[in-house]
Amino acid sequence: MKFSARVPVFDANVGVGHRHDRPAPFESPTDLLKEMDRHGVERALIYHVQGESISSIDANKALTQWLEDDRLSPQWVLGTDDDSLGQLRDLRADGRLNCVRLHDAGGSVPLVDWVYGESFDWLSSEGIPLWISLVDAATKEVVEMLRPFPDLDVALLGAHYVHASLVRGILRTLPRARLELSRYEVLGGAEALVREFGAHRLLYGSYYPRYAMGPMLYYLHQLDFTEMELAAVCAGNLQDLLGTGEGKLD
Amino acid sequence: MIDGGVVIDFHGHVGRWDTVGMVDDPETMLRAMDRVGIDRSCVFDIFHPDGTRGNDRTARFVAQHPERFIGFAYVSPLMADRVVPELERAVDDLGFRAIKLYPPYTPYPLDDPIWDPVFEFANERGLAVLSHTDTSRESQPMLLAQAAQRFPRARFVAGHSGNIEPARAQAIAAARRYPNFYLETCSTYRSPGVIEELVREAGADRVLFGSDTPLMDPRAQIGKIITAELTDAEKRMVLGGNATGLLGL
Repeated sequence: MKFSARVPVFDANVGVGHRHDRPAPFESPTDLLKEMDRHGVERALIYHVQGESISSIDANKALTQWLEDDRLSPQWVLGTDDDSLGQLRDLRADGRLNCVRLHDAGGSVPLVDWVYGESFDWLSSEGIPLWISLVDAATKEVVEMLRPFPDLDVALLGAHYVHASLVRGILRTLPRARLELSRYEVLGGAEALVREFGAHRLLYGSYYPRYAMGPMLYYLHQLDFTEMELAAVCAGNLQDLLGTGEGKLD
Repeated sequence: MIDGGVVIDFHGHVGRWDTVGMVDDPETMLRAMDRVGIDRSCVFDIFHPDGTRGNDRTARFVAQHPERFIGFAYVSPLMADRVVPELERAVDDLGFRAIKLYPPYTPYPLDDPIWDPVFEFANERGLAVLSHTDTSRESQPMLLAQAAQRFPRARFVAGHSGNIEPARAQAIAAARRYPNFYLETCSTYRSPGVIEELVREAGADRVLFGSDTPLMDPRAQIGKIITAELTDAEKRMVLGGNATGLLGL
């Protein structure tokens, strides 16, 4: 009754640090790596959770303390503060930025062009993929905001069964969008998406520590995927998105 | 079975719920069950307040694979005069083995006397009552715990174990206090360490694996148990040992 991944795994969605309202169950890279080892996760793309709703600027500064081990790759948070884009441009100029995430878009700040347009233009022109949470923003806002940026690669995070009727439409409307699967457990849903859109549109992410790291990884190993599809969903697609892969799986 | 232990999914649905992608296709459900070693799934239809229509549908569903699915009776106090006759029919005629309640589809908290006929029926028959629980006014585990105290021969199962805090803490406290109170595991809130907490605080003999199939894929939900830091003996109890006893299988 033990489980460990049988393919290389690169988790596309791991938060580090304590949220203002939710302490994390780990305090150091060592502890995080121990949890990854328990499930057979080789690498993780990490962001600092203070960027979810408090400060992307501080979150990105704090993230640097978590990057000593090369199994942990940085993901920087795009915020609403005027300084945020400048911080990200500097990280890009230093060669330290190859993906960005946006979080609290649906909270106090609407996800609209007159707030995020300049940032999205920059991401699109630089070929930097964007992670965006379906948990925090209205789906309609997400799709309408992304539509004018057809060259922007996007990972949509945290789709739930409440999005079951929307997911196929989103993937059709946004051909460069990938669906991260941390919470998408509609019966047979992931297999149907692979049949319709191909495995290259899906990413394994745990959303740890918001959610446990193991269950969805176990789930992916029980789906009717080929080994190539499983490997792509668990790591290959993320590597491709970050520009470190060996080619896309059609 | 998994490693020789029977696996029973204590929480499953019959019926369609289109907007969330729930389709009760038995072949799809069985394929998922077979993939991870689930022997039997308990199912019920909560979409019809008369009870009869949904229970008949559940009976037809179970009849397609009676060795794999177990029917639970659903009744609602929205049609209170039908509750007891429908429970008698569902248990005596349809062969259902437990009762499912869903307070969010009613205005009645679980401590409202309108639920008492259900609890009395379960108490007389020694049946299990699986109730949805969460943080809402109607569905708080501490209200179900009051029923557990008042009706000691019935067994009460907190569906989703309250789902999130503070309802989860209520559910755990109830299981610690009342020997006829159990915790069921299905939830899309998969906070790290929750399964371990339920077992540690309530005891492995009081926790039941459930998935919410086909609303959620049982392969994902069973992953919570398999990947939890529990002993194999504890996992066996949670996955099916406890349910076998509770349902008299």
